Amino acid sequence: QNITGKVTNVTDGSPLPGVTVVEKGSTKGTVTDAQGQYTLNAAAEATLIFSYLGYVSQEIPVGGRTTVDVAMKEDTKSLNEVVVTALGIQRDKKALAYSVTEVKGSEFTQARENNVANALSGKIAGVNATGLSTGPGGSSRIIIRGNGSLTGANQPLYVINGMPIDNTTPGGSATANGGQGNVDRGDGIGGINPDDIESMSVLKGGTAAALYGSRAANGVILITTKKGRAQKGIGVDFNSTFTAESIAVVPDWQYEYGQGDGAVKPTTQAQGIAWGRRSWGAKIDGSDFVAADGLTHPYVAQRNNLKNFYQTGKTFTNTLAVNGGNENVNYRFSVSDLDAKGILPTQTYNRKTGNLSLNGKFGPKIAVEALAQYTIEANNNKTGAGDALGNPNWTPYMIGNTSDIRWLAPGYDANNNEIAWNDASIASNSYFVINKYKQNDTKNRFIGQFGLTYNILDNLFVKGTVSRDFFNYQYKYILPTGTLYVPNGEYNELKTDVSETNAMVTANYNTKIASTIGLSALVGANRRDYNYNQINIAGSNYVLPYFYSSTNLRTITTTPLNQRVRTNSVFGSLDLDYKGIAFLTMTGRQDWFSTLSPKNNSIFYPSIGGSFVLSQAIALPRAIDFAKVRASWAQVGGATPDPYAINLTYSMVPSSGQPLQNVTSTAITNAGLKPLTSTTYEVGVDLQFLNRRVGLDLTYYNRSTTDDIVQTSISETSGYNSVYMNVGKMSNKGVEALVTYSPIRRKNFGWDISYNVAYNDSKVIKLADGITSLQMATSVGNWAYINSIEGRSYGTIVGTTRQRDANGNIIYDPTTGYALKSNLHELGKGVPPLTMGLTNEFHYKNFSFNFLVDGKFGNKIFSVLEVYANRMGKLKRTLDGRENGLTVTGVTASGDSFTKTIAKENLRTYYDNDKNYTELFLHDASFVKLRQAMVSYNIPVKNFKLLKLQSASISFVSRNILTLYKNTDNFDPEQSFTNSSNQGFESIGLPRTRSYGLNLLLKF
Amino acid sequence: TINGDYVFTKAQYDAVGNMITGLQGTMQYTTSYNDVAGWGSKYIFNQGTAPYAVFSSAYTKELNEMGEIVRAFEKDPALVNKLAIAKIWQVYCFSKVTDLYGDIPYKEAALGYVSSNYKPVYDSQQSIYTDLLAQLETAVGMFDATKTTFGAADMIYGGDLTKWKKFAYSLMLRMGMRMTKANSTLAETWVKKAIAGGVIREDADLAKISYLASGQIINQNPLAYWMLNSDYILANGNSNPEGGKYDKVFIDYLKATNDPRLPVISVVYVNGKASNDPSIQKGMAHNIANTKPSDFVTYSEPNQNTLLKLSAPMLVLTNAEVNFYLAEAALRGWYTTETAANLYASGTRAALRQWSLYGSDGVISDANIEAYVTAQALKTGTVAAQMEQIHTQFWVSVFPNSQEVFLNWRRTGYPALVPNNYAGNNTGGQIFRRMLYPATEENLNADNYYKAVATQGANEFMTRIWLDKQ
Repeated sequence: QNITGKVTNVTDGSPLPGVTVVEKGSTKGTVTDAQGQYTLNAAAEATLIFSYLGYVSQEIPVGGRTTVDVAMKEDTKSLNEVVVTALGIQRDKKALAYSVTEVKGSEFTQARENNVANALSGKIAGVNATGLSTGPGGSSRIIIRGNGSLTGANQPLYVINGMPIDNTTPGGSATANGGQGNVDRGDGIGGINPDDIESMSVLKGGTAAALYGSRAANGVILITTKKGRAQKGIGVDFNSTFTAESIAVVPDWQYEYGQGDGAVKPTTQAQGIAWGRRSWGAKIDGSDFVAADGLTHPYVAQRNNLKNFYQTGKTFTNTLAVNGGNENVNYRFSVSDLDAKGILPTQTYNRKTGNLSLNGKFGPKIAVEALAQYTIEANNNKTGAGDALGNPNWTPYMIGNTSDIRWLAPGYDANNNEIAWNDASIASNSYFVINKYKQNDTKNRFIGQFGLTYNILDNLFVKGTVSRDFFNYQYKYILPTGTLYVPNGEYNELKTDVSETNAMVTANYNTKIASTIGLSALVGANRRDYNYNQINIAGSNYVLPYFYSSTNLRTITTTPLNQRVRTNSVFGSLDLDYKGIAFLTMTGRQDWFSTLSPKNNSIFYPSIGGSFVLSQAIALPRAIDFAKVRASWAQVGGATPDPYAINLTYSMVPSSGQPLQNVTSTAITNAGLKPLTSTTYEVGVDLQFLNRRVGLDLTYYNRSTTDDIVQTSISETSGYNSVYMNVGKMSNKGVEALVTYSPIRRKNFGWDISYNVAYNDSKVIKLADGITSLQMATSVGNWAYINSIEGRSYGTIVGTTRQRDANGNIIYDPTTGYALKSNLHELGKGVPPLTMGLTNEFHYKNFSFNFLVDGKFGNKIFSVLEVYANRMGKLKRTLDGRENGLTVTGVTASGDSFTKTIAKENLRTYYDNDKNYTELFLHDASFVKLRQAMVSYNIPVKNFKLLKLQSASISFVSRNILTLYKNTDNFDPEQSFTNSSNQGFESIGLPRTRSYGLNLLLKF
Repeated sequence: TINGDYVFTKAQYDAVGNMITGLQGTMQYTTSYNDVAGWGSKYIFNQGTAPYAVFSSAYTKELNEMGEIVRAFEKDPALVNKLAIAKIWQVYCFSKVTDLYGDIPYKEAALGYVSSNYKPVYDSQQSIYTDLLAQLETAVGMFDATKTTFGAADMIYGGDLTKWKKFAYSLMLRMGMRMTKANSTLAETWVKKAIAGGVIREDADLAKISYLASGQIINQNPLAYWMLNSDYILANGNSNPEGGKYDKVFIDYLKATNDPRLPVISVVYVNGKASNDPSIQKGMAHNIANTKPSDFVTYSEPNQNTLLKLSAPMLVLTNAEVNFYLAEAALRGWYTTETAANLYASGTRAALRQWSLYGSDGVISDANIEAYVTAQALKTGTVAAQMEQIHTQFWVSVFPNSQEVFLNWRRTGYPALVPNNYAGNNTGGQIFRRMLYPATEENLNADNYYKAVATQGANEFMTRIWLDKQ
């Protein structure tokens, strides 16, 4: 029989278009039109499920009626009952055997991080999100439940509407210590416009991700984009945001002794330059001195060099979206423009996106969906980091503390040559870098998806989808003529084409057995092709000065890189449902990897999970509204992402004379590589009490990776720098808790609290035979290392300390007068084990206010900035001995007492030696931050009838507002420059910022 | 698949280009007012990888390459000459590393791919020397004139077996002499064996690699490339990024001896133009602490028309060097066919002549050569005084090959350089005795590194290695 009805919003009675109405246990369904009306042919005894994202789903038995009207309630806690899971399948949350967290698109729209991934920070238990200190257009680093692989990227797989996208950083991630052109070139997720996102689901566990195969070993972030809705006329959304950001962290330098050397202030320009970055001078007394500019200035502290050099960053984003359609065809089209100026003068980032989404039904059998997105990203003058040459952050941090950085502007003379400001020309004049270095990149990216569903029977359909994510990237780095250190300049160009193509076909079957057991089965196959083609043109010495073309170089090297990877897969899943009380899910997948030897390139991995809704099965105390227990076990297999890792190859070396040849790579290839396995089991409970005012979601997981494929550094004396191998086992165990509480829930006033906490214990259980430690990264100058050591946690910081005797006295070498340096040993964790976030949300009538506090605890960070600041006499610890010389006391190796006084004139070289002791520049990186605060106001649109406004809201948002707790005086503990796995070094990137923004959302 | 010829050419480039440029300063040829760039002349090591350079580069480049091609040539008996030449070159490559660092991975070196050895043990320098010398002897014995040899792929001798034989014995002579301090008996044995085998005695036999003026970096003279790009590319005498100039000690010596090489190698910029007028040449003091002197432009720096030519050759082992070793052997009574004075004069003469390899600006007239040779003739006197004269001449004659000069100075103590006691130096004000193992060895090859340090001594500049112990 035909059933009709109207779906309305329970609070105001307004019609709800786009609500999904399905007959339970079948695939029959429809969506409501613009007036909230629907018509569905269903049996008289059927049960209808009404679901709509952001609203509480309802199941209503028809009971012989022909009209079924429904009033739906908004789900204020964003804990929607229906969540998007693997392959874009929507599932009832209580049926899930694992923990899934969904974040609504509005949270990204309002938070206004350029890179949407950064907005996850502090929101989800077990998800460690870090933005990098690289300015607008920078990458993000997301780690879910700890680092599973020793040297892999460890970042999750990003999936849009069921199909994977690419998250590659072209040319590779920036490193903590590289030199010229060492910039963060941005990742794939950064190209997604938050305004196009309907919701984001984070699949943390292996079971959740098992269907995605190898690349899901680190979790999956599922993005569902906004789609058109059936409605009368055309809906128009306009969203405009302006954000400003400014420096939030300024080093706590010493300002007692000024610029100079040997306790003397500069009195000539030659001294002003030679001591340009040294604060080893006389006591600051307001007298006169001569700075690098040759002028006489008062000898007073200049505390504002960071503020004077950097500017206020500004980002202006506008998105216009139109959508509409009828029961058969829906569309949504959006265009967006993001225009950002970084805090680094001349750094800009522009992102334009066009996004088109189409959904249609052609008769009862065929449905199609299509998505096309085009993105153009353009960057100018990204910041470098690490080594000093071309790093624009060097001068503001290191300039003598009585010099004003603006005296060095514009950094070049009448002949466009760099003006010297210090003794080492490798430490560039930052004004010259921002004014004369040229660095720009553009990325043109297209994401296309097309899916076709054919309903063979009411309960059996097949779906085919193809998707392609393709980008073309061009990067140019020009070290100009007239650079002091490299007078004739250098040139570097990168052209990269990357594509990720997936073709997938699935068949779904639903049925009921004995009217109590629901069964849903899926089988599918996928082919993934990944191509990476790159040409790098590097050269030096411009023949004609100031003409920056690759045709104008005296020496030039062209390096092509072509990589192709194919993975073929078949997979299947089976879901069973007993009366909505007990659920069981099983999956299996087999992958074949083109990057491994045919002898061992295939792996099968299964998963199984179940959940049991206690509150429906047995009578529980009245206070408990809902109780569910869940458990799952899953395996995910994976292979090396790098092709050419199995056989030794030889390559011709570019030569202008005799032909030259060498082994292709300094990495030892390994024909015996086999796929890695990541195994996770998790158990959890989901409880709701006191009329659902209090909720608790608790998970324990245990994830272990065996036969991890690593590319690890080895001793150069082996003839190679690194080797590919399968190494033993590593484990991540942890607990995650989400506690929600609604102290006040009234019609006009509400207060919701949400607290998440996660503890992850990572441990390297076994490496390879004869190998108990792997080196993962080194700092500038090899002052610290990041190792993975058997029996310790992933990413351990290793370095040296001053040797001490049993009584704690420092042991000195009497010849040099310096403390003896210990052997390398473990100094702390590079990755925080404990993370948490607390959100408070208030609603009052049309106002809402929320704030987020988050924290990370238990890790250390080694500061390269401080090593240099110590050498330059800017750290407060270098004040010891400035007046009368520094007297050190301790013992000698033979146990005699040792005392030495270093004259104040020689303090600089004495303190410089401290770089040999890692411990002095290592800090606890724990912090608590007021991450975000936001006030929104829903403008009552009834007063503006003429504008035909449906709704309007305005919000004010501020991010990274305050650091409530930290142990680093001179930098932000989250200061990281790379999105690679090597976390634990600070390396003179951009200072951290706080931002304020205003967001206006209008719907017509 | 591997083409042994092409890899061999690469290994020749790599080995000859592998150097510690800071030794130019250590031997007081050059200096800088800046203490980072001038680390070699100020014995202060702030940061970077400079003291590791030869070690790091050798294993991943020439030593790995030589391992690959020796294994390739061993498979085919017809390639025995190529194998023998490769083995001689392998000895040269290894000796270069052990001479600077002491105990190094040798037997297990560069076997990362072949035998998955990622942590090679360090062998004692004494055992390495013993084996290298034996390898040389074996290799020379393998030559078979009826079989094929390298052509143009051998940039040094084009596969000429006779010349390679002389090179092998000259290398044996050099290495034998290197041992005079550590084990003089052993030194005598090998020196005599080398002389008997026949060493380089003619200019035509000296070992050198020629380079190109443009194109890929690897085809350009590595020393000139480094000097140009670190300091002298603008050729105006003033805007030297690393603050480099000739050291006062070197220029003063050349001036005091009226050395005709001074105008060949040294210029001063006057009004932006290079002048090689010997009277205005002057070196910069190596104790200047970081402040650019106001008269910086008036100091001498390398001549763009000889030393700094990208197409200049690199001299690997010369007639001059061999003659100085022979002169010392004569003094020691290990070689009696010729007199020390004559051998010394031949060495000096050859050293002056070899500048003509740098082009027309390097040619020194016969008259000037003879005048200098006569003026510098070996004085009669004590053996110690004669040793000093020979090895001081070695210092000016083997320039710019500062590694050989450094090793010769370490062994003989000549020239009698006055150490630069620069504030905050790492050596207690003394000249380096060795270079440093890379810092990463302590992290990546810890057990073997700690064993090596335990037997040889701390990984410091002043630790004396086997060759340097009396």
